[in-house]
Amino acid sequence: MALEVQPPDGRKRVKVYELKDNDWFDRGTGFCTGQILGEEPRIFVESEDLPNRVLLETRITKDDGYQKQQETLIVWTEQNGTDMALSFQEAEGCAVIWDFVNAVQQHLLSLTSADDALSDDLDSYQSIVLPAAELGNLPEIEQIVRAASMTQGGRDALSKYIIRDEYIAKLVPLVEMAEDLEGLIDLHRLCNIMKSLILLNDNTIIETVVADHVILGVVGALEYDPEFPTHKANHRQYLADKSRYKEVVPIKDPIIRRKIRSTWRLQYLKDVVLARILDDPTFSVLNSLIFFNQMEIVNHIQANGPFLRDLFHVFDPRNPDQRRKDDAVQFLHQCAGIAKNLQAPSRAQLFANFISHGLFAVIAFAVKHLNPAMRTTGIDILVILLDHDPVMMRGYMLKAVNEKKTPLTDTLIDLLHVETDLGVKNQLADAIKVLLDPQIPMQDPLGRAGPDYFKVRTNNLLSDAFVQQHFDESSKRLFQPLKQLANRTALNDLTFQEVTLYSHLVDILTFFVRQHLFRTRNSIQSESLAPRVAQLLRVPQKHLKLVALKFFRTLISLQDTFYQALMTHNNTFELILDIVYETMPRDNLLNSACLELFEFIRRENIKPFILHVVEKYREKLENIIYVDTFQSLILRYDQMQGYGAEADATLFSQDDSNAPRRIPLSGQRWQGAREMDPAEEDYFNTSDDEDEIKWTQDRVATTAEPSSESAPAVVKPLVDYPDDDDEDIMDTKPEGAEQQPAASPTEASTEVPASPPTQNPPERLAEKRRREEEDDDELSKLTAGPKRRSSTSGNSGAFIMNRKKSQSAGSLAENNASPGVLNRVTSAAPKRIAINIGSTAKPSISETDTTRTEVTSESYEKENRDDSKGNEGG
Amino acid sequence: MSDLDRAIEQLRACRLIPESQVRELCYKARELLIEEGNVVSVDAPVTICGDIHGQFHDLMELFRVGGDVPDTNYLFMGDFVDRGFYSLESFLLLLCLKVRYPDRITLIRGNHESRQITTVYGFYDECIRKYGSANVWRYCCEVFDYLALGAIVLGASSELEPSSNTALSSMPIDDSELETEVLNSRGEVTMSTYRARQRSSSDASTDSRNISPPRDISAAPGQAAAPSRSGAPGTGASGDGNGSAATSRTGAVLCVHGGLSPLIDSVDKIRLIDRKQEVPHEGAMCDLLWSDPDEIEGWGLSPRGAGFLFGGDIVKQFNHLNGLSLVARAHQLVMEGYKEMFDGGIVTVWSAPNYCYRCGNVAAILELGEDASGGGTVARSNGEYGRSNGIVTDNRVVSPGRRYRVFEAAAQDTRGMPAKKPVADYFLHLRLGVDFEN
Repeated sequence: MALEVQPPDGRKRVKVYELKDNDWFDRGTGFCTGQILGEEPRIFVESEDLPNRVLLETRITKDDGYQKQQETLIVWTEQNGTDMALSFQEAEGCAVIWDFVNAVQQHLLSLTSADDALSDDLDSYQSIVLPAAELGNLPEIEQIVRAASMTQGGRDALSKYIIRDEYIAKLVPLVEMAEDLEGLIDLHRLCNIMKSLILLNDNTIIETVVADHVILGVVGALEYDPEFPTHKANHRQYLADKSRYKEVVPIKDPIIRRKIRSTWRLQYLKDVVLARILDDPTFSVLNSLIFFNQMEIVNHIQANGPFLRDLFHVFDPRNPDQRRKDDAVQFLHQCAGIAKNLQAPSRAQLFANFISHGLFAVIAFAVKHLNPAMRTTGIDILVILLDHDPVMMRGYMLKAVNEKKTPLTDTLIDLLHVETDLGVKNQLADAIKVLLDPQIPMQDPLGRAGPDYFKVRTNNLLSDAFVQQHFDESSKRLFQPLKQLANRTALNDLTFQEVTLYSHLVDILTFFVRQHLFRTRNSIQSESLAPRVAQLLRVPQKHLKLVALKFFRTLISLQDTFYQALMTHNNTFELILDIVYETMPRDNLLNSACLELFEFIRRENIKPFILHVVEKYREKLENIIYVDTFQSLILRYDQMQGYGAEADATLFSQDDSNAPRRIPLSGQRWQGAREMDPAEEDYFNTSDDEDEIKWTQDRVATTAEPSSESAPAVVKPLVDYPDDDDEDIMDTKPEGAEQQPAASPTEASTEVPASPPTQNPPERLAEKRRREEEDDDELSKLTAGPKRRSSTSGNSGAFIMNRKKSQSAGSLAENNASPGVLNRVTSAAPKRIAINIGSTAKPSISETDTTRTEVTSESYEKENRDDSKGNEGG
Repeated sequence: MSDLDRAIEQLRACRLIPESQVRELCYKARELLIEEGNVVSVDAPVTICGDIHGQFHDLMELFRVGGDVPDTNYLFMGDFVDRGFYSLESFLLLLCLKVRYPDRITLIRGNHESRQITTVYGFYDECIRKYGSANVWRYCCEVFDYLALGAIVLGASSELEPSSNTALSSMPIDDSELETEVLNSRGEVTMSTYRARQRSSSDASTDSRNISPPRDISAAPGQAAAPSRSGAPGTGASGDGNGSAATSRTGAVLCVHGGLSPLIDSVDKIRLIDRKQEVPHEGAMCDLLWSDPDEIEGWGLSPRGAGFLFGGDIVKQFNHLNGLSLVARAHQLVMEGYKEMFDGGIVTVWSAPNYCYRCGNVAAILELGEDASGGGTVARSNGEYGRSNGIVTDNRVVSPGRRYRVFEAAAQDTRGMPAKKPVADYFLHLRLGVDFEN
């Protein structure tokens, strides 16, 4: 029984601890060595002070539960039951000893399995033996399994036994036996045993469970859940049902075929059989097994030239088999869906392969399909591609334009105009948004490092003028229906389809304006779209009114002279005021949306609008008294004219002390190269007080965007999608303290420990960051999804803007590849106000290091003050 | 039987309606919701419910315990979807009921009624699974954007009509009125509290509140709820002096999903929000849906990463300034189904029993009765600004009588095993040749 393990070199400085009465007792500091003395592997620690004193001498046996904790701790339980710990000075020293322990244990283990039953006397302590798999033994088996599951050691030992003995396969025949005997109690027991074995959370066991010869027995047992004694599931029937299998093109490789089968079963286990009982570790084991299988399958498919040729050959126009084409589209859709979960390089490779075989033709085939479901599928594939790499997709599209072929966008635009299925229309609008968005940065250096990455990129670097021209032409085509509104006098007879189309078009237009206001200027100007949108403010359909309103609200938030002129040269504000009149004082969504718009102008003190609105519509404003927004607009106006300058001074006096810094955050600014037009310069020069200018700009820079509709998303970057093991949808952690059933929720003390008073912001921020690391709360999870699910609501832009932001911040470019870094930095920083409302009801603002905080709290206080002013006045 | 009634029938049986009907339903709901203010006014009597989270069978149990629509007037405080396996059935049923009985059911938005959250916590996947595409998810998300952000309950009675089915012997003490009552799902009273009648002249007299449910509800005699007569000696006389003016001034109840916001100091500020948008990551709208009360002073950072923690002083002040007697909110799991904090100034109502099919909690709904005396509540004409500048002339606001009905997860054999629907087809369209080849 020779040990072939080499003891480690050198002595590692270490502290020895022993657990006494729940306290770690320090036995002293010394030097640790691993030694093999006469066939016996040992850990020695000699005292540092008295070199001959031995602080620790322990024999390593194969079943001692050694654990490595953090980087520098090894913890285990001695044969006599004492808990011991070694705390190393260096992580490296810890690793060396740990490797030694591991090697010894593995070696010992291999010896025992060689001469199995012989060395039992010592090991029986930890090893587990189940009685023969017979119906009569089920109570005992269930009992042992349950008991063993309680402790980590028991679970390990049980797992080893189950695997070594191929025990699951032995249990399988019992299911049918029990069924034949109608032994419901036995079946319940089998179910419990099966559950426990799966929840041992061992990769090998789970792989065994879905093997061909076992799976039906396993799910058969799981059909008899004792928690639902009157029910029996039909898992076997489902799994054995072959009618659903379709094979467009046969896959021949037997290993891949097996992988496909077991992946499918794993998913069924995860989603159906075990959905209710899965714990987090098992869930992630299932997920990672599925993930690796899928990766292999996809890799096989994309590397399988003949297979791909056959697959895409199905779409040959000469092929009359329509059904088969539909199936092939579905197949590609599923592949693309799987690819979404893969890492970027494999995904890129798969898509590149698909595209070179003619995926675009397939999409074109599908989106023109008579069946709306097929159209949905086709666009879905497109959206997956767009999500994957919009730059690449735009590249292909522009290439087609350059080569005088019909670009995909034209097809999509035409479809959008005529599509009657609202779901499909929705998706079309989303796809067009992304495809026509020309400002996704081209310098994107990292991330989607597919093999064709640089090739595609460089081939498609077309001139900016060309991009602009294409954008203008596409816009013209796209917004044609909107333009034709000019010829309509009455808008009371819009059809349902028209209403839907207009709301999509205005939504897209709003998105474009927000995303890249310069490119959009041309088409808004030449097609005179703004008056058309203004027309829509008068339609009877309120939701369409809302969409139009959102467009103008966006224009206002841009603080751009061109768009300001658009707003003030037309009678837009009159129309909006009309809506206020129509709806007031009823409290409804439309009314609130209008109020918010004027409230924004007031809050941000946007002078051109205040001047315009009060000058032109003073009387109208004066009559709206059920909220004070309009009165204070008039007040602002009067102040600007020089009346009540005193009030002005007090209003802003606080700003000096707060000295807000200027942060070039707002969208249009950091995109650079923006010269100030004369009008704008005028605007700033007309201000009478320098501090005030600064204040206004600052407000513009820091709050204008965040407080607009998509705001918050802009601030937070898109981050890495959580790993599989984080992805547990049943994860109970995110809601944090609220759901720890063990704690007694009646007692306030069990809640999140009352944090120190808010006067201590730095500490609080640190605490926040720490918390974020510990449990990922809901918000960090939600910001984590790279799956862009855009929608008609106009918020879909936020994701893309995010992406831009993070890139321009000079950080890692591809968010998929930048785990957490961006997130941590940005989400922790600009967050929270710390306000204490004392007994005087005056918020006291604590110093924080972020301008946003200052600004927000400032505006908060200002609002308060406005109120109190109002009180005094009235 | 109209299409809508048929759809309701079908959904009650936990069977889905076709995609085209969902689309119709969502459009109708949109037309309806666009007319609602950011804060909806609701008249008592009303039954207030917390998170549902796709636990369809437990929603059915809720209706059994609380009474069916339209017999009972309901207010749901959001989080209809995610986590449970029947988000679609639950939400669509509630939406159908909303469209069918718009005045009998109010739905407000929770933080899970959001595109981003639903893609992570299950609703998106459920839609894909059950309808094969994201269309239904899109329609539903569109509706989410239109949901109101809060509700205000007016005309609630300060006194409960004692339940007939009293299992306790504790009799109401003279000169006191029933303030809170806790009932189990069989309608048996397990706990009640009383307060001095007509002694609202002193704030202290209502401080008997903040009832906490006992750990074991079935074994909860009236002890935990010692009737309070804490009105200072001698105040009785003066109280009588004000008597009729002050007695029935039951303050309004604000219902939101999460809690308060430092940006919102009056209920009217809420109406200045353009709510038709995805739930933002910060700002007033976000806070209303994300914040939590906590035993702190002032405002604190929320461990959730959105919204704030707010302390008792904040609640007290907010209620005072707005003439509110109570804030009802959901958003946090409470093992006993409900939890009052800060002298009864705020209550958390949680309506998803055995949350996630594993938390082992019970659920509760909160019933507020109608003030039959007609004595009038604090007037809240939703529409006149200025009234809530903080001056409520007589601020001795009495909290409404509160009846909690506590219930457990639906009995297990009345429902199938909860499970997700398996993937619509299977994962690759391949014929496996000889299946289970060895």
